[in-house]
Amino acid sequence: MPSFPSVDWFDAIKDIVNKDPDYRALGTVDCIVGVKVGSKIFELTFDAFECTTVREAAETDLRDMDFWLEQPYDKWVEMIENIKKHGKADLSHTLNTIDLSMPEGLARAHDGYRRDAFYRFNQSIQDFFNAAAKIDTKFLAEAAVA
Amino acid sequence: MADTMTIPANLAAKAKEKGWPDDLVEQALASGAGADQIIGYMDQGVTADQARGFLAAQAGGGPELSDELKAAADLAQWPYELLQQALAAGAAASDLMNFMSMGVTADQAREFMAQGGPPQLDLSWMQVPTEWNTRARPTKHGLTLEAINIGKYGEIPDVWPYHTEMPRGAIPIPGVESMGYSIFEKQEVWADNCAALYEEAIQRRWRPATDVPWATIEPLPDDVERAICQICTHISEKEQLEADVLGRWEPDISYGYHEVKLYLATTIFENARAVEVFRKRALSNGGGLGIQSPGWGFRSIVDARNFTEMLTIQMVLQDSLTLAQYQYLEKYAKNPAEQYIAAHAMQDKARHVAYAISHIKYVMMHRADRRDEIMRYLDKGEGMMLQDDKRDPATKAAFAIYFGGGKANINEGLQIYNQMRRRAVEQYLARLKWATIERADRLDPGLKKYIKD
Repeated sequence: MPSFPSVDWFDAIKDIVNKDPDYRALGTVDCIVGVKVGSKIFELTFDAFECTTVREAAETDLRDMDFWLEQPYDKWVEMIENIKKHGKADLSHTLNTIDLSMPEGLARAHDGYRRDAFYRFNQSIQDFFNAAAKIDTKFLAEAAVA
Repeated sequence: MADTMTIPANLAAKAKEKGWPDDLVEQALASGAGADQIIGYMDQGVTADQARGFLAAQAGGGPELSDELKAAADLAQWPYELLQQALAAGAAASDLMNFMSMGVTADQAREFMAQGGPPQLDLSWMQVPTEWNTRARPTKHGLTLEAINIGKYGEIPDVWPYHTEMPRGAIPIPGVESMGYSIFEKQEVWADNCAALYEEAIQRRWRPATDVPWATIEPLPDDVERAICQICTHISEKEQLEADVLGRWEPDISYGYHEVKLYLATTIFENARAVEVFRKRALSNGGGLGIQSPGWGFRSIVDARNFTEMLTIQMVLQDSLTLAQYQYLEKYAKNPAEQYIAAHAMQDKARHVAYAISHIKYVMMHRADRRDEIMRYLDKGEGMMLQDDKRDPATKAAFAIYFGGGKANINEGLQIYNQMRRRAVEQYLARLKWATIERADRLDPGLKKYIKD
């Protein structure tokens, strides 16, 4: 059972969506997305019809990403548990909804153009996280990512 | 000789079926043709008249003319030798009778017959000096516009000199009429992302009629239903306007920048899809349409006198606001159908904004002298948009009721509406900043108030 957050966990999600014709049917995605969970940062590269690579990244790498998703650890846990419970994010837990619920936003970027990739590819990125419903997740202790 | 010729039974049967008289069949056999060969001609549809003409021509003399044909030729003033020539060339006597009765003159018949035989084609076009041996290869995205932009075909000129519909990379010919294009400079329309956005739009399309989970829509309180229907009316109206405006500009963009033309075509399609889907939502749950918008903001778009002006106001300013509206409609959706609609409209709208802001950046990189001009367009656009706000209380109230969940919560809804405006303005400024335009200080006070805290 992969732990969240870890490269293994994102790899498991990546493997699911890359084999999923419904994900492919959403269309091409071309962006580099960061996921920041506490002190840990992961870089997800989306190229055409698949998520090609997942790697652990450093704070300085954020500048090269189109945008990154950042929220408190307990909110990540809540989002993933909600996805697991409903098979996908319910109306209160979509990436866009969470983004609007936070003053700083869930999706953050260093420039206003690249951040718009969050909207352009929103449903594919959502579908990526919705795939968390198909795996069992072990959550690391919050202290482990602080 | 014909008197002694024996016609095989299968040939006789076929001749009877096809209306070839025995004397003709005997004549054909006598000329050396085999029975199977003659049957083959018959099966190919060769008529008795045609066969007689052919045989006569082979024999070196003209085919025999019937009295009926001669009489018609006398009347139509066709010489007999012309008739014999036509019969020999395979014309049917019945057809010749028809031509003569229709008033076809002998000269016209000669001219027509002269056109027979193999066409003399001018194949000089096969030596056209375009770039040849071009072999574009599919990428992970397939064979995209960017993938075929290789060699000369990928050279996008700063100025396109042709007024015709000649494709970029083809060879012009003299004498072709102008198609009425008026945009010939790259900086007037170009954005570096337009080819990629075109492919993205094609790949990420969706189908409102069947993709939206319409069955999840359930009856809403009357005030909320009225609110969403007013919002749908407002959005349908402005998306249709955008489609109309872009549609008018399309024919002005010369063919040298086909990537832009193609991308705008997808934008127009997406505008149409938004009109469609929001209208469908309004008419699918016991409600109907609401009241129209005052249209002041629309005027500033329709009245734009150059393409960059139109893009600046429509696709940078107005679409930034619309994009924020879709974000909030997704968050406050009352059912999965509305959530789906808003989320997908949001993706489309983000592409529109991406093209426009990328164009502004291109202009700034290549025509920095246009900075003040663009600032003035934004001044005008912001001002006119705020006039709409003053004169359109319905749309603002509708959003507030929808966000708040009913008239009773309108104050809460208005706070959310203001948050939406704040986000829209912040994102608008951030996009402009990326395009090297610092707008915060010059922002219309009516918009500045949303971000002053």
